[in-house]
Amino acid sequence: MTARTPAQSPALPPRPSLLPWVSSFLPVLAAIVVGFVVSGLVAYAVGQSPMVMLRELILGAFVGPQFGETVARAVPLVGMTLCAAIPLRAGMVNLGGDGQLVLGGCAAALIALYAPLPDGPRIVAALIGGALVGGAYASLAALGENFAHVPMLISSWLLAYPAKAFCGFLVRTATLRDPVVAWPATYRIASGVRLTPLFEGAPVTEGFLLIAVLAALVIFMDRRSTIGFEIRMRGLNERFARYGGVALDRQTIGVMFASGAIAGLVGAILVLGSQFRFTDNALTAPQYGWSGTLAALLAGGEPVAAVTAGFLFAALQTGGFAMERSVQIPRVLTMVLESVIILFLSMRGAIGRRSQ
Amino acid sequence: MAFLEMVDIVKRYPGVLANDHVDLTVERGEIHAVMGENGAGKSTLMAILYGLQAPDEGYVKLDGKTVFFHSPLDAIDHGIGMVHQSFKLFESLTVWENIVYRREPRRGLFIDAAEAKRQVAALAERYGMPVDPNARVGDLPVGVRQRLEILKALYRQARILILDEPTAVLTPNEATALFGVMRALAAGGCSILLVTHKLNEVMAVSDRITVLRDGRVTARMNTAETSPAEIVRAMTGRNVLLTVPKAPTAPGAVRLEIERLTVSDDDRHAVDAVSLSLSEGEILGIAGVAGNGQGELVEAIMGLRPAASGRIVLNGQDITKLPLAARRAAGLSYIAEDRTRTASAAAASAMDNLSLGFHRNPPLAAHGLLNLGAMRGWARGLIAKFGIKIANERVAVGTLSGGNLQKIVIARELAHDAAVLIAEQPTRGVDVGAIEFIHAELLRERDRGHAILLVSAELSEILALADRILVMYEGRVVAALPRAEADEAILGFYMAGGRAEAA
Repeated sequence: MTARTPAQSPALPPRPSLLPWVSSFLPVLAAIVVGFVVSGLVAYAVGQSPMVMLRELILGAFVGPQFGETVARAVPLVGMTLCAAIPLRAGMVNLGGDGQLVLGGCAAALIALYAPLPDGPRIVAALIGGALVGGAYASLAALGENFAHVPMLISSWLLAYPAKAFCGFLVRTATLRDPVVAWPATYRIASGVRLTPLFEGAPVTEGFLLIAVLAALVIFMDRRSTIGFEIRMRGLNERFARYGGVALDRQTIGVMFASGAIAGLVGAILVLGSQFRFTDNALTAPQYGWSGTLAALLAGGEPVAAVTAGFLFAALQTGGFAMERSVQIPRVLTMVLESVIILFLSMRGAIGRRSQ
Repeated sequence: MAFLEMVDIVKRYPGVLANDHVDLTVERGEIHAVMGENGAGKSTLMAILYGLQAPDEGYVKLDGKTVFFHSPLDAIDHGIGMVHQSFKLFESLTVWENIVYRREPRRGLFIDAAEAKRQVAALAERYGMPVDPNARVGDLPVGVRQRLEILKALYRQARILILDEPTAVLTPNEATALFGVMRALAAGGCSILLVTHKLNEVMAVSDRITVLRDGRVTARMNTAETSPAEIVRAMTGRNVLLTVPKAPTAPGAVRLEIERLTVSDDDRHAVDAVSLSLSEGEILGIAGVAGNGQGELVEAIMGLRPAASGRIVLNGQDITKLPLAARRAAGLSYIAEDRTRTASAAAASAMDNLSLGFHRNPPLAAHGLLNLGAMRGWARGLIAKFGIKIANERVAVGTLSGGNLQKIVIARELAHDAAVLIAEQPTRGVDVGAIEFIHAELLRERDRGHAILLVSAELSEILALADRILVMYEGRVVAALPRAEADEAILGFYMAGGRAEAA
C-alpha cells in the first residue's frame, strides 16, 4: 500500500516510518554537531584552536559558579522560549515578546515602587501585574487577527515598538525618573520588594522557581489538558480543529494571552530579581525574546524540547562570555554556532525530500 | 512491437513495495485503462512513466527504444502528457498563455501573441475541443479547464496522454463529451492511459485493461471480453457486492429543516434560497456537479460559514446563529468531503483523531484534564469495531490509505450518535471494498432512525443510497424527486442546468 489518496501529488511518497521520536531527534543532534564543527572551523580560520574553544565553552557554561550564571540566564531565556513556543504549538506566531516583556517589567517596577501594599503582597502584585499587562497587550494582536484579519506575524511584531517607546517615555517623565542615574530609569526598588536569591552569593533567585514551575505547568497542560489537546490539534491542522468544534477565535486570544503573560512575568522577574529598577532598553538589550524565538523554532513548539533548547542557548551564551573573557576567543562564534544549528534544522525537510 | 512498454518495474518505498515487477504495454491509438484500489500502485506507475519518480528496477521503452526520464520535462520531451486530477493551470492567465507556457512562439525577445493565439485556435479546431484563447482560466468551468489541460499536452506534441481520474469533476454530459474527445484522439494515433476506478467508464471507453493489486498486475483484459464483476474481482481478490441491499424506509419526525437559506460568497449567492427538510430514518441525497453550492450549503449547516439569510432548525431548535460546537452538541455530525484537509490531522495519532470532539467530556476527559487511558481504550474500540487497518492507535493517520483514513473519520462521526448526519462525498477516492463497507454503515444508520443528508457528485452513490433526491445547480435546488422517479439520465439533465419546466 502506498498509503496515499489520489488527490495528492504522486511525487510525494510517505515519509519513512522510523520511530517518530528517533527520527525527529536525530536531525537536531546532527545539526548541533554540524554547528560545532562549522564554528570550530571558523575559530581555526581566525587562528584559534577549536579544542580550546570547545573546552572553554563547556567550562564557562557548566563548571563551578558558571553553572549558576547559566541557570540565571536560562530563567529569562527559557521563559521567553515558552512565550514563543506556546503560540507555535498552535500554529501561530508571537514575535512581539520583547514588547510584552518590557511592558511587564515596567508595570512590575511601578507596582513594586508605588503600590500601597505591604512588601510581601507587593511582590506578588508586581509579578501578577506584569503578567497581566503582558498578556493583555499580546491579546491585542489576537483581537486584530480575529476582527480585522491583521496577520499576527506582523501585528505582534509591530506592536512591540509602541510598547517599548511608551515605557521609555514613562521613565523619562519627571515624576517617575530617578534623577541620580544617568540612564532613563525608575527609582530603585526597596530591598524588601525584591525576589530573594535561593543560595548565598548565587545569582539564582525565586524567579528560577517560578519559571521552573511554569515550564512544568506548560508541559503538563500540553500533554494532559483538553486546552493543550486543542492547541496541539490546531497546530497540526487548523481546519480540523475548527471542524471538531474548537472555537478558534477564543483560542487565539487565550493562547496569545498566555504567551504575553509569560513574557510579562519574565520582565517582572528580571526587574524584581536582578535589575531592581526599570531601565530603558535594559530588558531588551540581551535579546532574550529573539533567542527564545529561535529556541522555540528549534523545538518546533514542543514544550520539553523548547525548554531544553532554551537552556542550551543560555549555556552557549554564558559559555561564550566566559570564553571571551578567559581566552579572548570572540563570543560571536557562539552566535555562529546558534545560526548554523538553526539553518541546518530548517534544511532538514529539504534534505529529506531529495533523498527519497 | 508495442508503442509503449514498461518492463519489470519495481519501486520500493520504506516498508512498502509499491510496484512489484509490473509490466504494462500500450499500443498506438489505444485507450488503456489502469485500474486498482487505492494503494495498488497505479499512481506510482504513472509517476514513473511521467518522470516524477525513478524506478528501482525495470525500464521504459518507447517506440522500441529504452528511455530514462529524470523529470516530467524529459517525459514531455518524449511526447508524454499527463492531466492530473487537480489541474495545474494559472487561473489569472488566459487560455492561450496557459497552453503555450514554456513553449511560447517568439518574435525576437518577445512572445508572439498573435501567432500563439492562432496556433491555439488551430489546435482546438483540429481536435474538436472549442475554447476561446482569450478567456481567463479562472472564469472557465471545470470541464473546459480539463479540455485545456489536454490541449496543453497536445500542444507539447503528446503521443501518450495520461488521464488521472478525469471524470471526477465532470457532469455526466461533460464526461460523455470527454469520452468522445478520447476516442477521437485515439483514432488519430494518440495512446491514452486512463487511471480510474469507475467501472462504467472503463467499460464504456477503454480498449484494454490492466488491473493492479498490492503492486502486482493481477489481470490484463480486453474490455470487450470482460465484465465489471470480473474487474472488481481482479481489483479486490474477492467478490464484492456492487450494490448494497436496501430495505424500504419509513421516515419519522422531521429532524432538520432549512428555510430559504442563502449563503454569500464574495458578491454572488453560493447558496440561493435553498429549503429542505430531513426526517429520521431517511437519506436525502443532494446531487450535483461539484461546486454548485453543495459545499457551501453543508458548511452553513455546520456553522463553518455564515448564512446571509434563512433559518436552520435542528430538532426544533433554531441553530442558525450557533457556533459549530453548539450545533454538534445539538445533534449534528459531519463527514467532511476532504478527509485529509478538514476531517483529520495527518501528523496526529489515530487516538487523537478519534478523540477530537469527545475530548471535553467524560469518559475521555474530566475537569479539563484528559484521561489518556480512556482515550486509548476509546480509540482501540473504534479501530476494532470498524476494522481499521492500523498497527496501533499511536500511529499517525497520515500513513493510512484513503479507505482506512475515511473509516477513521466515519468511525468518529458515527460515534457521536447524532440525530442528523451530514455525509459529504463519503466514498470519494476510497477503494471498492471500503465503498461497500461505508454504504452499508450509512444504511444501518438510517435503519436505526438517524437522518442522513448525503451530498455526492457520484450519481451511482446517490441512486444506491438516497430515499429522496435534490439536485443543486448554481446554488439553487432545481429538482426534488423521490428515488423511484430518478435515474442517471434525469439527474444528469438537471445537474447540467435543465429546469423542471423544460423537462
